[in-house]
Formats: sequence, structure tokens, C-alpha cells
Amino acid sequence: MHFIDSTNFERLLKKLSSEGELFVPVRNEENGKLSLSRVDAFPLDENVCFDGYRTVEPLKGFAQFLRSPVAEYPSADSDEMADPDGFPDYIVVGARACDVNSLELIDRIQVEGEFIDPFYKIRRDKLLLIAADCSECGDSCFCTLLGNKPWPEKGFDLSIAKVSGGFVVDIGSDRGTAVFEENKDLFTETREGQIKARDEIRERVASELEQKNKDFPAADKLPEILRGALNDEVWDEIAAHCVECGACTNICPTCYCFLLFDQKLDGEHFQRVQSWDSCQVTGYARMAGMLNPRPRLTDRVKHRYYHKYDYLVSSHEAIYCTGCGRCIDTCSAGIDMRESFKKVKEKAKR
Amino acid sequence: MKNPYYPIDAVIEEIIEETPTIKTFVLKPARPIEFRAGQFMQLTLPGIGEAPFTPSSSPKVTEKMEITILRTGKVTDALHESEAGAKVGLRGPFGKGYPLDKLKGKEVLLVGGGVGLAPLRSLIHALLDKPSDYKRISIKNGARLPEELCFNDQYDEWGNAAPNVDFTCTIDTPASGWEGKVGLVTTLLDNLDIDIENSIALSCGPEIMLKFVTLKLLEVGYKPPQIYLSMNRKMSCGMGKCGRCNVGHYYLCVDGPDMCYDKIKHVPNVFG
Ligand SMILES: Cc1cc2nc3c(=O)[nH]c(=O)nc-3n(C[C@H](O)[C@H](O)[C@H](O)COP(=O)(O)OP(=O)(O)OC[C@H]3O[C@@H](n4cnc5c(N)ncnc54)[C@H](O)[C@@H]3O)c2cc1C
Ligand code: SF4
Ligand code: FES
Repeated sequence: MHFIDSTNFERLLKKLSSEGELFVPVRNEENGKLSLSRVDAFPLDENVCFDGYRTVEPLKGFAQFLRSPVAEYPSADSDEMADPDGFPDYIVVGARACDVNSLELIDRIQVEGEFIDPFYKIRRDKLLLIAADCSECGDSCFCTLLGNKPWPEKGFDLSIAKVSGGFVVDIGSDRGTAVFEENKDLFTETREGQIKARDEIRERVASELEQKNKDFPAADKLPEILRGALNDEVWDEIAAHCVECGACTNICPTCYCFLLFDQKLDGEHFQRVQSWDSCQVTGYARMAGMLNPRPRLTDRVKHRYYHKYDYLVSSHEAIYCTGCGRCIDTCSAGIDMRESFKKVKEKAKR
Repeated sequence: MKNPYYPIDAVIEEIIEETPTIKTFVLKPARPIEFRAGQFMQLTLPGIGEAPFTPSSSPKVTEKMEITILRTGKVTDALHESEAGAKVGLRGPFGKGYPLDKLKGKEVLLVGGGVGLAPLRSLIHALLDKPSDYKRISIKNGARLPEELCFNDQYDEWGNAAPNVDFTCTIDTPASGWEGKVGLVTTLLDNLDIDIENSIALSCGPEIMLKFVTLKLLEVGYKPPQIYLSMNRKMSCGMGKCGRCNVGHYYLCVDGPDMCYDKIKHVPNVFG
């Protein structure tokens, strides 16, 4: 464990910013929420904030772009990937546990198995992640229901926890070690009180989360609860106010579904583009002849729960939710996943 | 690193008109493509898009690939309007393919409907390559009208390929000039002279047909583990990454497209 004071931390970021595009959380003065913003100049803006809780936007967009050209054809008939040098180097600072965990989940889909998404893989390999502890939690946060902690435990290069005068720093990867070694003079050993201070914040946030979510079922029971409610009417009730906007899937840090579409560039050249997609919209699964395995909105709302909390548990051994609560904040119909689970669970009891 | 989104160039060498709405496209890819019967390809129409199809040709031939396609929407319309010499693209093969290992020594029952006979033809080629590996190969096929039966110039050849092979077909309603069987393809499953306990049935066709074939097979004594269905879901990536083609917790593009009914029977709307 190491310590870096605030001035040296800014020095470190300045140095790293020469190696890639640097993003940090910035507090919105009106609503107090954090958003990732690119740093173009130093010193850092006074609203840059490394404590608090997660940003409004999910982290996945750094590895799986909203839209990304994935092939131009025809071209010399080679399916060999172009040089990774053309890909940007991103350095993201202040990612919270719920976001860091989500990238590890998407990795299982995009870079494991018989085929690898080379675009995702290259971006992911190039992403330098400096994660951060939460010093508060939002009303919608429920990471602890998923059995997660409000501080990063793995999946980062470096991780920081704000304490008086600077940050306690954890190293989480070889790349993190290299950054530390190269900048050793900026760090000191931690003093007794600093780790204690960090742990007190951790404990406080964790118990706040427990308290806020005490009425909701813990997620490890969900696959079982859901399997018992496959054809239950409770889903109609849950979906009743959904307006099918797809905001929940877009803002979800673990929703990875995409669509490929083709377009003409010029004359005889064409481009294939990968774009985020949402299982909540009608066209998502519609086939030729208007056949649709999920024709009703209820089917689609329900599908999202089953995909995350049941199917992917069977196929990829993990619940695809990290409890960040963004879907709750964003839903214009006020659907709260935690409330849905409560309803489904009560239904199962009857 | 390979880019699995990149379509390998291919040229349409020949177009065979099978029925008024079904054509077989003989494709020559820029490099040979190996596949197992039942695996599928994503076929690109430049600038228009991709759609999944299972080759209807023999997996032994890799320099050329035949794909038999029903006209039904954006990509298939454009394909049907293409002419020989047109450039297309191919990605794949994807999916598991038919469970050939499980068929050895069995009485294999194939049930096709409409363009569903196309993917089955690749399996028929694979089975007829060594008919003695199977106790029996019984092929049942149906279409709405006589002119909608695809590959009808090949039925005799299949039926006569070996003593343990038989082929029967039917059309849905009587038509002038038709002397064969009349009735839905499920009627061919009544009074089967098959040792059902030692049989595996595989079916490919429209969802509604799959549903009634499955019900019929269960009725005549097949157990869910003995039934394989070529399922249909919208696809995009073809390799388990875009999240689109779930049937329950399976991704059809990775775990299928042919699925053992036992694995999916509990899925709501399994037949769409
Ligand atoms: C594994 C598999 C194998 C298939 N094999 C054959 C075959 O051998 N012969 C044949 O005629 N048809 C086959 N189909 C069905 C064929 O893919 C659809 O008819 C075709 O996608 C329709 O495309 P379209 O653009 O003309 O239709 P539109 O309705 O305009 O569809 C637009 C797009 O949606 C997607 N889409 C639409 N319907 C389907 C569908 N049923 N399955 C998957 N994606 C779809 C495609 O990307 C398509 O381009 C197969 C489907 C699957 C899933
Ligand atoms: S869900 Fe947990 S880890 Fe994520 S921001 Fe909220 S408190 Fe932090
Ligand atoms: S087609 Fe993309 S996951 Fe199956």
C-alpha cells in the first residue's frame, strides 16, 4: 500500500496525460452529479472530484463504442486486423467498483470463446484504469445486494481512496506496477492512520448501503426466484409503465448487446458498423415475416431481467448487474429493479 | 488477430431456380470454407446487410458452397434480384452443426418443410456419404404446393441411395397433376414404421411446422432428448457476442442452431 499526496497525484496525471487521453470525474455544479470529462489542460478544474460515488455515464463506452466501424470491404480479401496503433490510449481515473466489475463481465463475452471481438480487445488492453473508492453512495446504489463492495477489489491497474491530504493507492496489475515504478518518487509509504481512515470510510459507506437496501432481496437468490416466476402476471405489473425507450440498457454498464449494419461508402466500397442496441425495442428480435419471440413489451422487459439474472448465470456463471443503480435513476417510468425483485419474490411466496 | 466481422469475398457463380420463391445460389468464396452440416454462414450483400443461412451443399466440398434461399425481406429480395457474377461476402461458419456423432447406428428421421429442406440437404449429403453408419435414414418432406417442393429432381437419387434410405413427400392440399401424397407433413408421421426407441428425429422448417412436428413426434412416442429442431432467431454477430439470439439461456448462434428439444422445452414462446 502506498500514499500519494494531492499535488503529486496531479503531477502523476499530468505525466500520464502525455501518454493518452485522460478522463476524470467532474462534479456538475447544479445537480452535484459526476460525469467523466476529458482533461485538456492543467491544473485540474476545481470541480474534478475523486470521491463521492459513480459517474452518470457507464464505463463500457471506452471499450465498446456506441458506434464503431468494424470492417470495410472488399479490401484485398484479408480478415487480418489492422494495426492496434490506430486505436486511442485512454486513461480513466475514478471508476468505481460497480463500473470496474462491469468491464470484467463484458470481457467474458467479447474476448472469451471461439471468436474474439478484436476492437473491444484492443481498446480494453489499451485502457489504463485508475479506480476509486466510494466515499458516499447514491439513493439508487445497491452494489452490496450483489455481494459487491463499494470499493474496487480487482480489475484495475491502480486504485485510489481519498484520505486527508491525498490518496491511499493500491496496485492491481502489472501495468499498475509499471506506472508506480516509473513514478516512484511521487509516492510515499502509507502511515498507520491513513489506512485506518480509508477503512473507516469504507465501513461507513458499506453500512449505509446495507441500511438503504435492507428491504430488498439479495441477488444470489434471484436466479431461483426468477425461475419460479417465468409465466407470472407480476411481469405485466412491472412493465406497465415502461415506455420502451431503451435508456436502461444504454446506461447499464453490463449491457453489451449490439447490432451490425452495413452502409455504402463510395462506389464499390462498403462499411460494416457495430452499434449499441436495446432488447427493449420491438425490432430487436423481430424476424422475417414479422415473427417475434418477444412481441409484447412485457416479454421484453421480462427478458432483460432473465438475461441478466438467470440466463447469463447459466451460460457465463455471473449475474450481469453490478448494482450501480443507473437504470433506476434514468427510467422515466420509475421502474426500480429492486422493487421489481421484491414484487417477484413476494409473488413466489404466494 | 483475425477480424471476425470481415466478410470473405465470394462470387455468385450460378443461380438455380428451385421454386417461384426459392433459389439456390452457388457461391465461390475467395478461399475454401470448411463447415460441418448444420453450421450456418452470415451472407453479406454489399451495402445492404447480412442474413444467416445454412449451406445446402455437401460439407465435403469447400471451394464452392450452395445456399438455398427463400425470398422474404430486405437481404433476400436483393439476393433474388442479383445475377450470376455478382459479388457477395461470407462470414462463418458459426454454430455447432448437426449432432452427427449421436446419429451413428440410429434410425434417423428427417422432417423438412418448405425451405427447411435446404439445411437438411447438407445433412442428407453427409449421411448418404456413408449410409451404412446408420441403421436407417428416413426423409419426410412437405410443401404447400407441388411447385413449392425444392430439390424435387433429387428425391429419387436420395431414396435409392441405399436399401436403408427412404424418401416420402407430401403437399398440403390437392393440386391438379399431383399424384403423390396430400396432407400436412405431420401426416407422414402417423404409423411410422420406425423403431422409435432407437431413433433420433431432426426437423427444419417454419416455426409453426416445428411446433406441430414436435407435438406429433411426442404423440407417437419420441422423448424430448430424441428430437432436434433447427431453431430460428434473429441474428447479427453469429458468435455469441451481440446478445440477440437467446432461446432460454442458450445462444442459438453458438449452441445451435439445431437444438435438442429437451433443452429448450420450458422456454416461453419457444416456437415464436
Ligand atoms: C441459423 C439460421 C439458418 C437459416 N437458414 C436459412 C436457409 O438456409 N434458407 C433460408 O431461406 N432462410 C434461412 N434462414 C432464415 C433467414 O435468415 C431469414 O429469412 C433472413 O434473415 C431474412 O432476411 P431479410 O433481410 O430478407 O428479411 P427482413 O425481414 O428484411 O430482415 C432484416 C434483417 O433481420 C435479420 N433477420 C430477419 N429474419 C431473420 C431470421 N429468421 N433469422 C435470423 N435473422 C433474421 C437479418 O439480419 C435480416 O437481414 C435461417 C435463419 C437462421 C437463424
Ligand atoms: S453502486 Fe456501490 S460501487 Fe457503485 S457508485 Fe454506488 S456505492 Fe459506489
Ligand atoms: S447472433 Fe449475436 S449472439 Fe447470437
